Amino acid sequence: MSIEVKNVNKRFGDFVALDDVSVSLPTGQLTALLGPSGGGKSTLLRIIAGLDSADSGTVSIEGVDATHLPPQKRNIGFVFQHYAAFKHMTVAKNVAFGLEIRKKPKPEVERKVAELLDLVHLSQFAGRLPAQLSGGQRQRMALARALAVEPTVLLLDEPFGALDAKVRKELRDWLRRLHDEVHVTTVFVTHDQEEALEVADEIVVINQGRVEQVGAPDALYDAPANDFVMSFLGDVTTLGGQLIRPHDIELDVLPGEPGAVEGVVSRMLRIGFEVRVTVLTDNGEVVTVELTRTHARRLGIAEGTTVYMSAVMGATRV
Amino acid sequence: MARRLSERQRERGTSSGAGRERRSRRAQRASAAVGRRNPALTWGLRVLVVGYLLMLVLWPSWYVVQHTFADGLTGLRTALQDPDVQHALVLTLEVSVAAVLINLVFGVGVSLLLVRYDFWGKRALSALIDLPLSVSPVVVGLALVLVYNGRYGWFGPWLEAHGVQIIFARPGMIMATCFVALPLIIREVVPVLEELGDDQEQAARSLGASGWQTFWRITVPGIRWAIVYGVVLSLARSLGEFGAVKVVAGNVAGQTQTATVVVQQKYQNFEQATAYSVSFLLAFAAVLCLIVVALLRPKGVEGKR
Repeated sequence: MSIEVKNVNKRFGDFVALDDVSVSLPTGQLTALLGPSGGGKSTLLRIIAGLDSADSGTVSIEGVDATHLPPQKRNIGFVFQHYAAFKHMTVAKNVAFGLEIRKKPKPEVERKVAELLDLVHLSQFAGRLPAQLSGGQRQRMALARALAVEPTVLLLDEPFGALDAKVRKELRDWLRRLHDEVHVTTVFVTHDQEEALEVADEIVVINQGRVEQVGAPDALYDAPANDFVMSFLGDVTTLGGQLIRPHDIELDVLPGEPGAVEGVVSRMLRIGFEVRVTVLTDNGEVVTVELTRTHARRLGIAEGTTVYMSAVMGATRV
Repeated sequence: MARRLSERQRERGTSSGAGRERRSRRAQRASAAVGRRNPALTWGLRVLVVGYLLMLVLWPSWYVVQHTFADGLTGLRTALQDPDVQHALVLTLEVSVAAVLINLVFGVGVSLLLVRYDFWGKRALSALIDLPLSVSPVVVGLALVLVYNGRYGWFGPWLEAHGVQIIFARPGMIMATCFVALPLIIREVVPVLEELGDDQEQAARSLGASGWQTFWRITVPGIRWAIVYGVVLSLARSLGEFGAVKVVAGNVAGQTQTATVVVQQKYQNFEQATAYSVSFLLAFAAVLCLIVVALLRPKGVEGKR
């Protein structure tokens, strides 16, 4: 295990940011710390980096107790949401910073910087100032800068949070590919479950200062430990008093299955290829069901139609 | 206990951004209002403002220049040959440069403390720093004399027993000058530090830079124009200080007389030509400082962002 966090507590005044958090993050993997804003995930990342200190508990990185080490002695790479570019230095100088601090010989620095700029596709911008780059380019520069010092762990704090949706998606794919090439242990913070599910090998769900669940994306999606994880990872609705995903409900106009719940369609909303149906059951439950447009047409349902709902085989329910 | 303030700064950053917007909108409205005014009133106001500046600043200043060069360069030459004047000018420069250097180190340090750390009594300290702007320099001088004089001051007798004379000597003059110019660098550096935030500093730390390396490689380049501007202002202020230094220095010609004190003394001794010449030199130095600032200012604000 690369990063071992044990019994960490952190308060900001009366606010409990982390409540006895223990978590192990595996070597060489891409781990996401996922949770709502203010849940404590950034605080945990900053404590791992040494930018904040825990009130109690320990942090070890690759077997070394780092609890009381200052950030510059932890051999980490940190990428900030707002890039934290060194404004007065060129792109190449930004990337070279960590190497120059380490007093590496000049030819080595130059070679390494050229290599990294190539990796993040910024070679032609080496001589520019950060102000002359777009947000996505600045964040790639920040990544190259963090990777330059060959960190034991790479920590990213909502790295794509300040970018627009399209660039965000591009950089997300790119980060995944980069990680497959570089293999450095990477931890990134996000509040976007899609981002976590798509990019991470492992997800740590954090809410209200506590770890709710740790696991692979599929495991979390298919077997959520509780209501919170279930509802945070995707859309949910209730059927027969249980949480269920709207696309895990089978809809029929005939009372086929025994135990199917009867209801009346109160609203239909078409979004592209899918149809979102709101069904009112006899005992007053409001159920949302998602099905494809073709399926809905085949069933011939409309507002006011009586339908029967049952969970599909293998549906996730909490 | 000193907690980092990044979040709060970010909040303040956004609020000041909104303030700027509001201000620029107000400015637009104001200019629109001026456009609607009748020309007679506009011209009247202009004449009033120009006249006010003329009577208060330009005319008197011009008189000094005129009197300095009344006999060509003779006045200036005579003044510069006077050993008292020579000594005073050198002393003024020495004291000013020393005071500016001290204020530079102290000012940048206090600015960092005020912006980057949270501690008990921070607001009180911040308010205290503005004190020299509101207190009369003569009072400052007197206060220093009371504390440091060799006969009945708090520290004076002890220091004098150990061979350190503060009052009626250079240390006292430097202290007085430091005091009056104290807020100038801090008030320049603090807002720039606030705007800069500490993201870059944290990034540098995470990349392996020590606190000292971070300060020199990241913080100083970020605030360098504010420092230059503050230094020039402090220098101008220090060169022109009169009251505090006069009380502390004891006014011994050729020993503890600064340029401003010489002006007063020469004027009272009916050596007007010399007084005007030294005044001219002081005013010239001040104008030079302002020109330097004016040349630096736009570069510091726009060119570097």
